[in-house]
Amino acid sequence: MSLDEGLRTRLDDLIASHDVTLFMKGNRQQPQCGFSNTVVSILDTLIPDYQTVDVLSDQDVREGIKAYSSWPTIPQLYVRGEFIGGCDIIQELFQSGELAETLGVEILDVADPIIAISDAAASQLRTAVEQQGGPGRDLHLAVDARFQANLFIGPVDGSEIVVESNGITLRMDRASAARGNGIEMDVVDTPQGPGFKIQNPNAPQVVQLSVEELKTLIDSGESFEFMDVRTEEERATAKLPNTTIMTDAQAERLSALPKDTKLVFHCHHGGRSQQAADHFAAQGFTNVHNVEGGIDAWSQRIDPNVPRY
Amino acid sequence: MALQILNAGQEPEDVVAKLRGNIEAAIEGADVTVTAAGPGHFEIRVVSSAFENLNRVKQQQLVYAAITDLMSGQNAPVHAIDRMECITP
Repeated sequence: MSLDEGLRTRLDDLIASHDVTLFMKGNRQQPQCGFSNTVVSILDTLIPDYQTVDVLSDQDVREGIKAYSSWPTIPQLYVRGEFIGGCDIIQELFQSGELAETLGVEILDVADPIIAISDAAASQLRTAVEQQGGPGRDLHLAVDARFQANLFIGPVDGSEIVVESNGITLRMDRASAARGNGIEMDVVDTPQGPGFKIQNPNAPQVVQLSVEELKTLIDSGESFEFMDVRTEEERATAKLPNTTIMTDAQAERLSALPKDTKLVFHCHHGGRSQQAADHFAAQGFTNVHNVEGGIDAWSQRIDPNVPRY
Repeated sequence: MALQILNAGQEPEDVVAKLRGNIEAAIEGADVTVTAAGPGHFEIRVVSSAFENLNRVKQQQLVYAAITDLMSGQNAPVHAIDRMECITP
């Protein structure tokens, strides 16, 4: 596909307007594709601010950026005007530390994390490695940007940080090691059979706020950021006073606030707002709240004049 | 399954030949191997001295630039390159 001059200039300007620009599906708060999500998670761990361009909202940009870079896939990362790569390459550059260098951030000096593994968990893990491991394959512990831990057996690439605990060898990538110090692993019984229970003391806590507590908070006059993550259409049907609709611009504004700012998120039933709250907690915000049950609970228990839908 | 219907007009062997032809035309003297890996999915291996002193992104950009017309638009015969190896002889 050829690229007309108008579109080329537009892309030039977009890329020149920020040091770091990510062309992706969806936005930083809600990536709409796994590859875009992976790159957002990586960038979030390295830098506080970067521009994202949602190719799903602009067909010209979606096709144009592929011709612009001679690269057929989304996401695409640009740093100071230069095309860096797509998802696979960014993951590799992140693992090797080159991405941090390119972005001009100091490479995290990750101390060897301390992981506690109970005897029961160690015995299960030993069996799993015996059954599924093999040459070049080993046990990994990954901790994503949302602090969700994931145990898996997969290929060894040699760049991992190796942790020994209770006779078990675990491999962790740098970002996971930074997020996973102090993890405790045990085996618990679940209805589906025994399962691993992984507790991470570093996981940021989103505080659940009942609508009664929200009412008390509003009445106290204390100032806080009260964000509505629903759509314009839903807000036209019913909304709470003094709420701000969540947009990309608002998300950027929030991201720049001091990390101890009180943030309260609500949606219809509390699901979407939990995701938004998790996102900001993962960015290091320490005073993050989710309204349990959302505006629907408010209508039922606090103010019946707010229409239900 | 929608992908298969979209691409029903193009036999994988034809697309393989087009991919190879485009790359050979764009990178002089390149030794090109293209394998069909599923409907709309292909694997490409290119050996060329043109890759010397280029990083991986720049190497792959050379190849992608030659085949963008096969990857653009709604009914593109090529949906994805699952694997691309760029090798310097």
